[in-house]
Amino acid sequence: MNHAETGHLADHRAARAHLQQQGWITRRSEAFQHLPPPALEHWLGSTDATAGPPASGWTLHPLDGDAAARVQARWLDAHDPAQRAELLAGLPAPGADTDDAAPFAWAHRALCRQGLRLHVGAPAGTAPRTVHLALHHQPQDAAEAPLLVLDVAPGTHCLLLETHERTAPDAPATAQNLHIHIHLGAGAHLQHLRVVAPLAHDLVAHHVHATLAPQARYAQALAATGSAYHLQRSHFTLQGMGARARQAALLLAGAQQLDHQARTDLQAAQAASQVESLALAQGGARAVSNAYTRIAPGADGADVRQRLTGIPLAGHPRLVLRPHLEILHDNVQAAHGATWGALPEEALFYAAQRGLDDARARALITEGMARAVLERALDDSPLLAEWLEGGWLARQLERQAQAPLGDTV
Amino acid sequence: MTTPSPLLQVRDLHVAVGERTVLRGVSCDVQPGSLAVLMGANGSGKSTLGMALAGHPRYRVTGGQALLAGQDLLALPAHERARAGLFVSFQAPPDVPGVKNNLFIRTALNAVHEARGQPPLDAFDFLASARQAAGTLGLPETLLARPVNEGFSGGERKRNELLQLALLQPRLALLDEIDSGLDVDGVRAVVGLVQRLRAQGTAFIVVSHYLTLIEQLQPDAVLRLDQGRVAETGGLELARTIARTGFARPAAVAEAQP
Repeated sequence: MNHAETGHLADHRAARAHLQQQGWITRRSEAFQHLPPPALEHWLGSTDATAGPPASGWTLHPLDGDAAARVQARWLDAHDPAQRAELLAGLPAPGADTDDAAPFAWAHRALCRQGLRLHVGAPAGTAPRTVHLALHHQPQDAAEAPLLVLDVAPGTHCLLLETHERTAPDAPATAQNLHIHIHLGAGAHLQHLRVVAPLAHDLVAHHVHATLAPQARYAQALAATGSAYHLQRSHFTLQGMGARARQAALLLAGAQQLDHQARTDLQAAQAASQVESLALAQGGARAVSNAYTRIAPGADGADVRQRLTGIPLAGHPRLVLRPHLEILHDNVQAAHGATWGALPEEALFYAAQRGLDDARARALITEGMARAVLERALDDSPLLAEWLEGGWLARQLERQAQAPLGDTV
Repeated sequence: MTTPSPLLQVRDLHVAVGERTVLRGVSCDVQPGSLAVLMGANGSGKSTLGMALAGHPRYRVTGGQALLAGQDLLALPAHERARAGLFVSFQAPPDVPGVKNNLFIRTALNAVHEARGQPPLDAFDFLASARQAAGTLGLPETLLARPVNEGFSGGERKRNELLQLALLQPRLALLDEIDSGLDVDGVRAVVGLVQRLRAQGTAFIVVSHYLTLIEQLQPDAVLRLDQGRVAETGGLELARTIARTGFARPAAVAEAQP
């Protein structure tokens, strides 16, 4: 055994030991009480798996002419001590994340074998331009802990399409504990479209951590479909004055499970955040949308919005909407709300009066509401328009409408 | 010489909304290509007639009959009534959140085409005809790409109803206060469209309070609805009388009606 192996194995062992000592997430956890994750062993994989060569599931496609010149990409092997140090540089230690999801961070540290670091920024002396990127990820192992670190340089504008789509229904199940760390420098803008469509039997836990410097802007539109277990957790930290974060989550739970958690910390004056979700579920699905926003002391003029909506499409799904604000400063604006209801009846009748049968009217209106949620996050972004043009949303909704209304897997 | 069969035959129609009976025995006939104006005080049941014929679930038919081209309209679900050729414009057209106007109208148009055994319109052909119709009606072309009625002004909503009417070309259109919210050009567009569609055989029932529009439409009949019944039937002179004296009628006049 060489020193390199000793280094990463020691790191893995320490993480496992920590998890053994602290225990896994249970129903007693505030954030996970409605959908507790499967047991720890699912997320650690077998010990044999860690001995093989690391494989990256990430593929990167610069989508415009000179994007390649503005992006530095490094696929890094977490088993190599130098590369591991580079991969994890600047990231918070798992113990630093003291919230309910900390065990996932430890499990990630125990299993992580490879990762991708991206730096996006204009080379010195070049004119600022929006960088347009696409990142696709495919699972490589039965249990895996992929890592993406994205650093957007001050003043840089970036559009990123990130997809996780599994289409072969007979592919083996995967348990994926993905962590993404994003840092936006002062004045940087990132429009981030995330599409996550696992297979029905997959276990998925995605954690997005974004920190924003002064005047940075982060807008995320998330389109996610249900699976045996599917967690989409985001943590936005607005550190700089005037930073703005916005997330819109479209949760197509189908008849399965989907847990959306959005935590936002506003730590500076004039910071603003919006979290919106639309959960569509049917049959025996269980879907949770959990928004927690904290306005720190001194965050003068902060502006916070939360809007969570759940619509049962058929059957008796369980939809839990939990907007929550913690306000520790006086001069702020905050609004939150949760709406649990049906498709708009007047709009359905209007469509029927124009000749659309019930199924077609429902499909059209459901897709319209879904599009509207995503569009509110990314405005008139070409990134979203191009993606919507591909018909993914319509196909998913059609598949969902045709799926049997069975119980949750 | 034989009289053509009425396109719409309504007989003794009773309709309740919740616990309240609104229509208490409405009967009327509408011939193909003809135009009837429906007048009446607020709450007399004008909009209820349209919604009941369209099949709105809150408007419960408790008695009577309605035939469209001999087909029992009341036995059909709402979308099949529309496919059979009934168009009802809404007094307050609702938003359809997130659904682009051009997609909504094209989907509706193709559903009707399918029911008539006609081939569907592709997006390009549809857009060309939609743009042309929108231009004629004074509807800004940009509204075709916006979600249906979202953020539209009152007049734009009404023009959008006219656009759908122009493209769907129904057999019978019931226009409920289509002129409210429209400017002078909008009212002119209503008249032009109605004349064009009548010439092609579309029949109309127009609910309106405004004599100027009624006169321009040149109705074949004017019906005054009162307390859920057709209380008076006449020609343009009845509309002029109502405009001059209001809806309160001398008892003798009311009693003279069948």
